[in-house]
Amino acid sequence: MLNLKPEIAMPGQSTIDINALEQDQVALEIKNLNLHYGDKKALNNISMKIPKGQVTAFIGPSGCGKSTLLRCINRMNDLIDVCHIDGEINLHGENIYGKHVDVAQLRRKVGMVFQRPNPFPKSIYENVVYGLRLIGEKNRRVLDEACEKSLRAAALWDEVKDRIHESALGLSGGQQQRLVIARAIAIEPEVLLLDEPTSALDPISTLVIEELITELKKKYTVVIVTHNMQQAARVSDQTAFMYMGDLIEYTDTNTLFTTPLKKKTEDYITGRYG
Amino acid sequence: MDKSNNTWFKSGAPWVWMSAAGVTISLISVVGLLWLIASRGLTYFWPAPIHQFDIKDELGKEYTVIGEIYDVEQIPASQLAHTAIDLTGKESVERLLVKTGNRELVSLDFRWLVEPLIVAQSEPENVAVIERRTNGNFYGFIEELYIEGKKVDVAQLPEFVERVDNLQEQISELQKSDIMSINYELERIRLNRRKDELNKELTKARNAQYDSDVAALKADYNELESELNALRAQVQRDHIVVRAMGGERVNINLEQVIEISFHNKMGVIAKFGHFLKQIGKFIGDDPREANTEGGVFPAIFGTVLMVLLMTVIVSPLGVVAAIYLHEYAGKNALTKLLRIAVINLAGVPSIVYGVFGLGFFVYMVGGSLDQIFYPESLPSPTFGSPGVMWSAITLAILTLPVVIVSTEEGLARIPSSMRHGSLALGATKAETLWRIILPLASPAIMTGIILAIARAAGEVAPLMLVGVVKMAPTLPLDGNFPFLHLERKFMHLGFHIYDVGFQSPNVEAARPLVYATALLLVTIIVALNMTAVSIRNRLREKYRALEH
Repeated sequence: MLNLKPEIAMPGQSTIDINALEQDQVALEIKNLNLHYGDKKALNNISMKIPKGQVTAFIGPSGCGKSTLLRCINRMNDLIDVCHIDGEINLHGENIYGKHVDVAQLRRKVGMVFQRPNPFPKSIYENVVYGLRLIGEKNRRVLDEACEKSLRAAALWDEVKDRIHESALGLSGGQQQRLVIARAIAIEPEVLLLDEPTSALDPISTLVIEELITELKKKYTVVIVTHNMQQAARVSDQTAFMYMGDLIEYTDTNTLFTTPLKKKTEDYITGRYG
Repeated sequence: MDKSNNTWFKSGAPWVWMSAAGVTISLISVVGLLWLIASRGLTYFWPAPIHQFDIKDELGKEYTVIGEIYDVEQIPASQLAHTAIDLTGKESVERLLVKTGNRELVSLDFRWLVEPLIVAQSEPENVAVIERRTNGNFYGFIEELYIEGKKVDVAQLPEFVERVDNLQEQISELQKSDIMSINYELERIRLNRRKDELNKELTKARNAQYDSDVAALKADYNELESELNALRAQVQRDHIVVRAMGGERVNINLEQVIEISFHNKMGVIAKFGHFLKQIGKFIGDDPREANTEGGVFPAIFGTVLMVLLMTVIVSPLGVVAAIYLHEYAGKNALTKLLRIAVINLAGVPSIVYGVFGLGFFVYMVGGSLDQIFYPESLPSPTFGSPGVMWSAITLAILTLPVVIVSTEEGLARIPSSMRHGSLALGATKAETLWRIILPLASPAIMTGIILAIARAAGEVAPLMLVGVVKMAPTLPLDGNFPFLHLERKFMHLGFHIYDVGFQSPNVEAARPLVYATALLLVTIIVALNMTAVSIRNRLREKYRALEH
């Protein structure tokens, strides 16, 4: 894919103003989103625009709702019975909570990687082509190509190319997480959601994944939830700080970490709580 | 003292000892059970020495008894006080139970001998044990051999026994396959004719066709029958003369003889060979003489077939039910109630399932099937009478709760990250179930199936109502289309044990057979279970890394 805006490809150095985005620069638009778990309110009137082709990070203390918000974007919260959502999330101007949305179709466009690597108990190959098999792809050559391409994109190909038909459960934690990323991008989603993708990994694997994230944004819009502020500062273009279900501050990463506008943000990034 | 006691208690050592004791008791009972049935069952096949006892009874009469010692017991001398036996100075007396066979000479197979009356005891080398097709064993000395009415040397006997064996095999082959399939065809023609009659389609041409078919088959039949008669004449050609223990000379036609062996002449290796051969016959042959002699092959076949059919029925049913309960049913009071009901079904006595099977499956479902599909054979029932299919279905219902419960447990143990991973890739719930959840739950499903097999294979009570018989003339599987005859009755090892042990004319003689059959039943169940366990272990190995 051709990168039309080379200047925004630099990590942590976004030059666009997220408050004045053109319509075609927006990947996701969240409008007045409220979420309740039973009687408890978990997200309070969130509105934000997530720009295309960039890395957006959600940070905040535990229980602030950042993961919940992320899960709203591909409707993983639907799996929780007591969860009730109102408001809109627009993907290309179309509300994903609309009446006639096919959730499976939506999740193909919005891929997700979880906190703990969760490869299926199948071979590496079968893991990667799982999504393609779901949409009925049977052509062996297409599958093989997609597998190699995705593994290369996830920086895993060189390590596993000789054993892609062996069980994925034999990989290390960091490799498994990259495999899961490869699995997610094999079906070419538009948005990739990463839910604390490195929290279960060692520092070296974390570094590899972070480098991968900067690579990925050339093709995909990436939204990442992280506990680790340094990580957010390293990989993201925009950062949203959330606290107790509220979106406190959302701006480009440099600004947020150097000159935060809100007191709560400053307290959090300087380590006064959280 | 008090303090050290306390630390000993705190260290957990008493609990370790208690649990170890529990394990020991379980182990001893299992090993003891296996040892008992194995020793009692296997000695039945071991060629026992044949003893000759010279007896002088209390009236001074002298005679000889030949046979195998079956049992030895001590009885108090006072029990024999009424007899004229001289028992001075004896507290107790040894009493032997001897199997004497020779049913045509003495009415009883067994005889008690009191030790003081035995004058001499020996093991004559050339006493023969003649295993016969009817009337049980004969013990005696072979004196003469007549071939085609002419007396020849006895040394040639093995050759002629083998000849008879081959002929008998040909006869049974002829009867069991050729003649039976002609009978089967004749019955089919009769049914087809009746069917046409009922449908009012019996045209003259068709009737004539049936007549000519029947005529052709009858001609074949006559041909086979004359062949059979010729073979029978051949088989009855020769006979031997045997001297029994009383000195009587008895003619035994070789047709009757299955095997002649000389137990007292055998070395250990020959005995072992004989032992293996007897076991082989027990496993491979049909029963004879009201199940008290011969093998148990039809019962083995029936047991295994029924259990396999049951497995084929119960597995999909149980898995599907568990999936619904766990994945799709709402998490409400009704589901809970259903689950409790399913678990409680496992506690219903098995005979109740038998009654249910007889009333519902055999009479209602089977009766209706007969009305709809087999009106031509009425009033004799096809599926409307107990049979192997109804037995399998009844046991499937009986074991259903086991499969449902363990499948549900398996489904509950699968980490939610697997489901989420699949759903996040755009899989629907059904696709996730089929591609991820079911393979992961397969070891648990196999556990359920193992438990179901273990339960079903040991069940006898319900089967007596829905399909098991003492003696089934034909196996449910044969060479006649459609090969698997699910409506047929069958034999079962469990019922065979009951029948041989408690319903046979000669319970004493049948006792070792009961143990041997029990050993076989246990072996078969263990074999079925081991197969299932090894499949499960392979599946577990495949998904092992997930069980953190």
